[in-house]
Amino acid sequence: MRIRSALAAAAVLTLAAACGGGGGGGGGSSSAPDEPVKLNFLSLAWQKESVAANKQIVEEWNKANPNIQVTYVQGSWDNVNDQLVTQFAGGTAPDVIHNDSPALSGFASDGYLLDLSAKLPAELKNDIPQAAWDTVTFDGGQGEQGIYGVPFLQESQVIIANKKLLDAAKVRVPTADKPWTWDEFSEAAKKMTKDGTYGVAWPMKSPVNKILNLSLTYGGTFFQTAGGKTTVKVGPEEREVLQRIHDQLYKDKSADPAALGQGTADPLPAFYQGKFALLPAGVYLRQQVVEQAPEGFEWVTLPGPVGTSAQQGAVSQTLSIAQDSEHPDEALKFIAFFLNGANQAKLAKGDWLLPTSRTAAADPSMTTGENGWDVATASAKNLVVAPFLKVNGFDEWETKVAAPVLQEYLANKITIDEAATRLVEDGNKVLERYQR
Amino acid sequence: MTATVTRAAPPGRPGTRSRGISRQTRETWLLMLPALVPVLLFSVGPLLYGIGLAFTDARNTRVHETSFVGLENFTRLLGDDEFWASFKIGAIWSVSVTVLQFLAALGLALLLNERLRFRGVARVLAVVPWAMPPVVIGLMWKLVYHPDAGILNDLLGTDVNWLADFSLALPAIIVVGIWTGMPQTTVVLLAGLQGVPKELYEAGHMDGAGSWRRFWNITLPQLRPVIVAITSLDFVWNINQFGLVYVLTQGGPGGQTRLPMLFAYEEAFRYRFAGYASMLGLAMAIVVLAVLGLYLWRQMRETR
Repeated sequence: MRIRSALAAAAVLTLAAACGGGGGGGGGSSSAPDEPVKLNFLSLAWQKESVAANKQIVEEWNKANPNIQVTYVQGSWDNVNDQLVTQFAGGTAPDVIHNDSPALSGFASDGYLLDLSAKLPAELKNDIPQAAWDTVTFDGGQGEQGIYGVPFLQESQVIIANKKLLDAAKVRVPTADKPWTWDEFSEAAKKMTKDGTYGVAWPMKSPVNKILNLSLTYGGTFFQTAGGKTTVKVGPEEREVLQRIHDQLYKDKSADPAALGQGTADPLPAFYQGKFALLPAGVYLRQQVVEQAPEGFEWVTLPGPVGTSAQQGAVSQTLSIAQDSEHPDEALKFIAFFLNGANQAKLAKGDWLLPTSRTAAADPSMTTGENGWDVATASAKNLVVAPFLKVNGFDEWETKVAAPVLQEYLANKITIDEAATRLVEDGNKVLERYQR
Repeated sequence: MTATVTRAAPPGRPGTRSRGISRQTRETWLLMLPALVPVLLFSVGPLLYGIGLAFTDARNTRVHETSFVGLENFTRLLGDDEFWASFKIGAIWSVSVTVLQFLAALGLALLLNERLRFRGVARVLAVVPWAMPPVVIGLMWKLVYHPDAGILNDLLGTDVNWLADFSLALPAIIVVGIWTGMPQTTVVLLAGLQGVPKELYEAGHMDGAGSWRRFWNITLPQLRPVIVAITSLDFVWNINQFGLVYVLTQGGPGGQTRLPMLFAYEEAFRYRFAGYASMLGLAMAIVVLAVLGLYLWRQMRETR
């Protein structure tokens, strides 16, 4: 009898333990009627100024809205998608989620994010241009298109240049109105290559997004959709930028080979030492140059090179709401406040990125010549939705096919024809998996 | 005070078996229950669940309905070039690290077994890497290998990007793997060396055997059970390695260091094909058990 009772108690305890972690989807605590609504906000801000701006805005919100209290949760770009996969599956995802548009596509089609199309306040909707909304409009998994996040920060590619080496080369200095063509860029890099100094460095540890975004300057999209089926294409438009970078590395020898396997910020110490003159990078890298460059080091921000057009693929940072959030309306109110024009200007300055808000972009601090803000902000007009954002299975194509193939090509281990064949054939096999 | 004494059944007699489960057996199970329940819930349960998932098309999504697909994931695995490439990398990694780690650890253990000055300090220093978490080791070696600021390039006067070079990345992480696992192998071998009877060496010495002969004919045979145990464990640890390589290269460049566990992790967490990832895990477990079984069987046969 005693054994039976003990077993029953153990079973109850086991069940209680098993049930304890479940429920309460959305990660926010369900609140008693007289208690404030509690929301969790997962932020991926990492630069010091940006974290401070995020926390300050949350604090302002909490003071002004005692009935909707937001808890700031610090996340990291390094592992956010692993964290979210686990949290979504366990029903413990935060209510408000900071991420970027390439990641949203998968989570939206998997049904984890709330479609905001019908809920967005007009003021917020109208303050952000349609091109930016396009970066967060995806298939929600049932064939319908929805808006799965609010885009608020975007990145464009610029060239950060060592001013002394640039002046010494006596080349035309490109401006936002008259940027370098790719030919001029290559010529300039060649002129700057002398006495152990290279003209340019291409850090290509993660080459895919950079190549795909820059390829738009020649109309290279890498994907085509016909009859509802998406396939990879690598034609002359897609080869152009790839070939030009390869030429800088192995034909002109104007690109520093040591930088090739590095992450975007890794070549900065060599840049300060004058080992190379030009560093094509996202606009955010200016922040690290400002903070780390040795005293007396002079640098300028130049617009990215143009081909048949100046277009670049846009990827947005976003705020989304978990489908399982218990307080989606309150979460959206918080997002609308968090991303109003004034706050977006603060966030953009903190992250050294471009705000999507028209009000924020008009802020004088966004157009000053100091630290290249004028060039960076001007480049925003050339941003168009990156075609790969809409491709289901892009992530796997990127990791398994595109990254290895592009790295091998840029390391001069395969020809451009071999690269193209593998990108298409292996790539289509990957995409097939997502189109069943 | 009263005490309950349970009398053991006399040898050769099954005691109360004829009346079903004995009281002693019942009590034994009851006492084991608090330890067994968590093991069943958190270890055996998920393991069985994972095996079950391997035969489904489960995806980590909210909209997908999971169905049983039989051996479809297994068939896919057999024809998956990416998996075989990863498997080959895993085999090179685990065999190289296990063998080289063993050789280096044996050398170090022999040295630490000698009567050296500061032997105690040397022994402590030798196990330092053991105290470090894999993530910290990964970050530390990333700095060592850094192309601009790394100490290795400084020492060699080179300009090599060790972890991003297609030919050098795998050897570079193998070196880290050896360094990481050496302390525990050394400690186990050192313990084995101290268990070798001194009389055997004295007898060998008297028979005129030189140091190499004594090592070959006395030390190695005496160490064989320890060697079999530690190399088997090292092999299992190495083939299941994840954290260290994830921090160092994330499987790059171009998948050149994508170990099978990294491959399975990407399938499960990046692409969210939980069923296929489970099949990868199951297949790897079977392979490891098969290799290990064969190795142990051969070693044991030779020992006999």
